[in-house]
Amino acid sequence: MTFDLVLSGSDLLLLAPEIFLTVWLCVVLAIDFSIKNLDHENIAYLSVGGVIATLLNLLWFDYLGVTGTLFHDMFVLDRLAIFFKIFVLLSTVLVILSSIDYVKSFRFFRGEYYFLVMMSALGMMFMASAHDLLSVFVTLEFSTFGFYVLVAYLRDDVKSNEAGLKFFILGVFAAGLLAYGVSLVYGETGTLVFSEMAHTPGSYGLAIGFLMIFAALGFKIGAVPFHSWIPDTYHGAPTPVTAFLSIAPKGAAMAILIRMFYVALAAFKPTWVLLFVVASILSMTYGNIVAIAQKNIKRLLAYSGIAQIGNVLIGLAAGTKRGSDAILFYLLTYLFANLGAFAVVIGVGNLIKSDEIEDYNGLNRRSPFLAAAMLIFLLSLAGVPPLAGFIGKLYIFVAAIDQELYTLLAVGLINIIISMYYYLVVVKKMYINEPVDPSPIRVSIPIKTVIYVGLAGTLILGIYPRPFIEWVVAATLMFSNVTDMVAAALPHGSGG
Amino acid sequence: MIPLSAYVALSAILFMTGLLGVLIRRNFIVVLMSVEIMLNAANINLVAFSHYLDSMAGQLAALFIIAIAAGEAAVGLAIIIVVFRGQLATNVDQINLLKW
Repeated sequence: MTFDLVLSGSDLLLLAPEIFLTVWLCVVLAIDFSIKNLDHENIAYLSVGGVIATLLNLLWFDYLGVTGTLFHDMFVLDRLAIFFKIFVLLSTVLVILSSIDYVKSFRFFRGEYYFLVMMSALGMMFMASAHDLLSVFVTLEFSTFGFYVLVAYLRDDVKSNEAGLKFFILGVFAAGLLAYGVSLVYGETGTLVFSEMAHTPGSYGLAIGFLMIFAALGFKIGAVPFHSWIPDTYHGAPTPVTAFLSIAPKGAAMAILIRMFYVALAAFKPTWVLLFVVASILSMTYGNIVAIAQKNIKRLLAYSGIAQIGNVLIGLAAGTKRGSDAILFYLLTYLFANLGAFAVVIGVGNLIKSDEIEDYNGLNRRSPFLAAAMLIFLLSLAGVPPLAGFIGKLYIFVAAIDQELYTLLAVGLINIIISMYYYLVVVKKMYINEPVDPSPIRVSIPIKTVIYVGLAGTLILGIYPRPFIEWVVAATLMFSNVTDMVAAALPHGSGG
Repeated sequence: MIPLSAYVALSAILFMTGLLGVLIRRNFIVVLMSVEIMLNAANINLVAFSHYLDSMAGQLAALFIIAIAAGEAAVGLAIIIVVFRGQLATNVDQINLLKW
């Protein structure tokens, strides 16, 4: 039992984006501490600059095709990891930009807010690279710690405190399940690395262990049996944090789910497909039906997010390479539409200090730009052509048809109709109802930028998706043999 | 020589104790303690398996879990203090502002 850790400069190059971001966020924190009376807006733009530089670094890695593993396979940098890192950083940039006005209303700790956002983003970048159950546990907790604090950030607001407490208690409970699940899987397989587990025989210990790990990750993405924290936390948290929480951790946890089920558990596919079929049907139906009754726009988007995750899980239920492509593309469309919708909510909320749907009455009279943007984002979330959401849903349904999952397809199509209803109720309020207070709503430049990026993404992904589809197909190239692995395991392999 | 099954049984009992504690007890601090018990159940499992499988990875994982549990307690107690200051509440039932 000896350990040797040999690191060379070229190995550490794989960690360059993370190292750069770590140094940058320490510098940002130091500047915030040391320069008195510094306008926190400068801190925000400094943070955005650092995150964009990291993003460019990753795009360059993607272009060069840099890949490799580090630390005894605990950290892996492949195209899939690069995709999810870009995904997380893109949402971080948009969230920081849309936070700027909101943070002005804080009385204390304005600079630390950006530090915590970047720290969580760093944790999620490591999540995208986790290739080992220990690194899954450590990185998951790393990113969640930042979120615990961010959700409870409004110290004098009882709603924010309550949301933070609920999120914390359920979060650590999920961590306990995850740790115990990891220990059981380790006992059954004798290893923590995903790729070394691929050939273990099935057993009850393995099944219970992976069910616990699935529960903890299901908690992160908010799939239905594990969704109970989502509405309350989304409602009480500061709105930019809600926006961040609704997209980035879901993407990063989905990276772990794909890697775990496609690499470590490929041989047991017939068993776990059922798990995802059930979770997907429950998430879509529950999310959409409960969303109808909501009076608060943040809660509406929370339940719609649960339903959207149900759609994403269809891709995992298909369990093929095309399924994983569809997940990546769907998450990309969800990123632009969802962050755009939250940017509108933040823009309106900053001015009228309310998130009730009633207060969106006659938004078109008050700000035609915000109303039109919200219309496009909601239609994209509902899946109306020619917007991005339509291509995303089409792609994911095609993956389901490939595997002859017709029940799932039927439930998915019915749910599109249900979701159309509550999205259009908001649209009706914005365009047809009369405003109580007709004063115009002014939108600041950072929020406008976020909305423009969201609009551009939603339209480009809908009208010209080809380069993006090529990108996601390339990102999951390593799964092209996943069906063969199942076929090879089927004659003698029983379920886990 | 204590058999492996004894360790696994101990950790399963501890895990169940923690699980029931989270589900039944109403006080935040007790819930936090129960979660720590769950994490320590996992640690016992990891160290026992590590010894019997002659592989170092389990002990390493246990060290990381201990460190993270400490961090959790720090963040959790901070949040509990903030809630207590705002609403003078120490029980889960008293926190019921947000619901649909």
